Amino acid sequence: MTEIADTPPLLARRESLWTELLRREDWWAIWIGLGLVVVAVGLTLTGGSIKWLAVAPSKWSQGSEVVAQLRTHAPQYLALFALWALLLGIGSSALGSRWARFLPAFAAIYAVSLLLYLLGQWDQASHYNLEPPLVALALGLLISNTVGVPQWLQAGLRVEFYIKIGIVLLGASLPFTLIIWAGPVAILQAAIVSLATFGVIFFTAKRLGLDRRLAATLGTGGAVCGVSGAIATAGAVGAKKEQVSIAISLVVFWAIVTIFVLPLVARALHLSTAVAGAWIGTSEFADAAGLAAAQAYGGYAGHVPGISGSADAAVNAFTLMKVIGRDIWIGVWAFVLSIIATTRWERTGVNSSTGAGEIWRRFPKFVLGFLLASAIVTLIASGYNYAEYKKVVLPALVAPLQALRVWAFTFAFLCIGLTTQFRQFIVGGAKPFIAFTAGVVVNVILGFVLSTQVFAQFWTRFGQ
Amino acid sequence: MSAPAGSAARSECGNCQHFEQGAAQLERELPLLRTLSSAYSSVRARDGLCRQHERYLSASALCAQHAPA
Repeated sequence: MTEIADTPPLLARRESLWTELLRREDWWAIWIGLGLVVVAVGLTLTGGSIKWLAVAPSKWSQGSEVVAQLRTHAPQYLALFALWALLLGIGSSALGSRWARFLPAFAAIYAVSLLLYLLGQWDQASHYNLEPPLVALALGLLISNTVGVPQWLQAGLRVEFYIKIGIVLLGASLPFTLIIWAGPVAILQAAIVSLATFGVIFFTAKRLGLDRRLAATLGTGGAVCGVSGAIATAGAVGAKKEQVSIAISLVVFWAIVTIFVLPLVARALHLSTAVAGAWIGTSEFADAAGLAAAQAYGGYAGHVPGISGSADAAVNAFTLMKVIGRDIWIGVWAFVLSIIATTRWERTGVNSSTGAGEIWRRFPKFVLGFLLASAIVTLIASGYNYAEYKKVVLPALVAPLQALRVWAFTFAFLCIGLTTQFRQFIVGGAKPFIAFTAGVVVNVILGFVLSTQVFAQFWTRFGQ
Repeated sequence: MSAPAGSAARSECGNCQHFEQGAAQLERELPLLRTLSSAYSSVRARDGLCRQHERYLSASALCAQHAPA
C-alpha cells in the first residue's frame, strides 16, 4: 500500500487550475524536469555546467575500478542524491506524501539505482545480458514476490513520477526539428496499430459475450497507453470496478512479458536500434515498460555484433512512437467512447456523458514539458556551429541532462518490479485474457511489420 | 440558465458521498494501478469509485441515487 495520504476532500472535489498545477504528477514532472533543463541552459550560457552534479559511472572492467570511481566521485554522488531528494521530496510532499517517509525510501532506491547504473557500465554486461533496465525489473520482481517490499519503502515507489521526469529530460536531447520531421509518421504508424488493436480486442471481447464497457477498457489498454489508457476509458464509459482491475492486471502482465521478449527478438533479428525502438514504441503497452525495453536494447549498440545505431536512437524512436504517436490521443479516445457508451450501449443507472473538455483534462501534460525541453535546447544549439556544439553544448548541457535522465529512468525501472505482486493480478476468467491476448498478438505482429518493412527506411534514417 | 447549470454541477458524482476520488485510496483499491500508471496522473482527470454502483466513474457523471456530500 502506498504511503501517500489522500487528497483533502475539499481539494479533490473542486479542482481549480492552481490545484491541478500543484497536485498532479504530470505538472510536477514538468516543474522538476524543465527546471533542471532551464538551470542547465542558464549555466551553459554563462560558461558553466551542471556536469559536476550530473555524475554518472564510467566504463569499468575490474572491481577495483568501481571502488576507485566511487571513492573519487563520492561527494558528487552525495550531492546528486541531495538534489534528487530535494526535488522529488518537494514534489511528493505536494502530492500528499510525508517528506520524512519519502526520504529513507528514496535513499534506498537511489543506492540500488547506483549499483544498477554501475552494473550497466561493466564491459561484460551486454555479454551476460545484464542490461540495467532488465536487471532492475527482475530484481524488483524477485523482492516483491518473495521476501516482500518493506512498508517503509512504499513511499518511494513512484514509477510514473520518475518516468515522466525522465521523459521531460529526454526532450533536451531530442532535436525539436526531428520531432516535427518524424512526428507525422509516428502518428500514422501508431494510428494504424491502435485502431487495429482496439478493434481486435473490442470485437473479440464482444464475440465472447463480455460487457462492452470491459471490452472498451481492455481495448484502449492494449491500443493506446496501457494502464493509463484503461483507466481513462473506464472513467469515461463508467466501467465496473472489477473490470478496471481486470484490465490493469492484463496490461501489466503483458507489458512485463514484452519488456523481456521484444528486445530478445529484436536482438535475434539484428534490428537497428531505431527500428527496434519504433517497434517497441508501437507494440509495448506502457511508457515505463517500453522505455525499459528500449533502453535495454539501446545498450546492445556497440556491444552486440550486428546491431547498428546509437543507444539513444532506440529510446528516441520509442518516445516518438509511444508519447507522440499514442499517448497524447487518450483524451480523444475517452471522449469518443464516452459518447458511444452514453448513446449506444445499455444503460447502467449512471449517465457518464462528458464534454469535449475531457480531451484536455485527460491530456498527459508532461508531454508539454518534453516538447518545451526539446524546443529550448534546440533553440540554444542553433546558435552554435557543429564543431562548437560538439565542443561546448554536448558536454556541458546535453550529456549531463542525459545522465540525469538515465538516473530518473533507473529509479522507475526498479520501482516497476517492486510494485508488481503476482498475487494481486485479477484476470477475471479466460475470456478477458483471450480477448486481450488476441490484441497483443496483432499489436506485436503489425507493429513489427510496420517498423521493419513498411516504414523501415524511415526509421533507419531517423536513427542516423 | 445559470441556476440549472449550477444545480447539475452540484448533483454530479464528484459531489456525492458515495464517490471516492482520493488518489491514495484509489491506489489501495486498484493495487496494480501504480505499477505502470498512477492515480496522480492527468489522464485520470477527476475519476473515482462509486460505492453505490461499484463503478469507476467520471466526477461529472450523474445518477438518481445522488447523495450530496
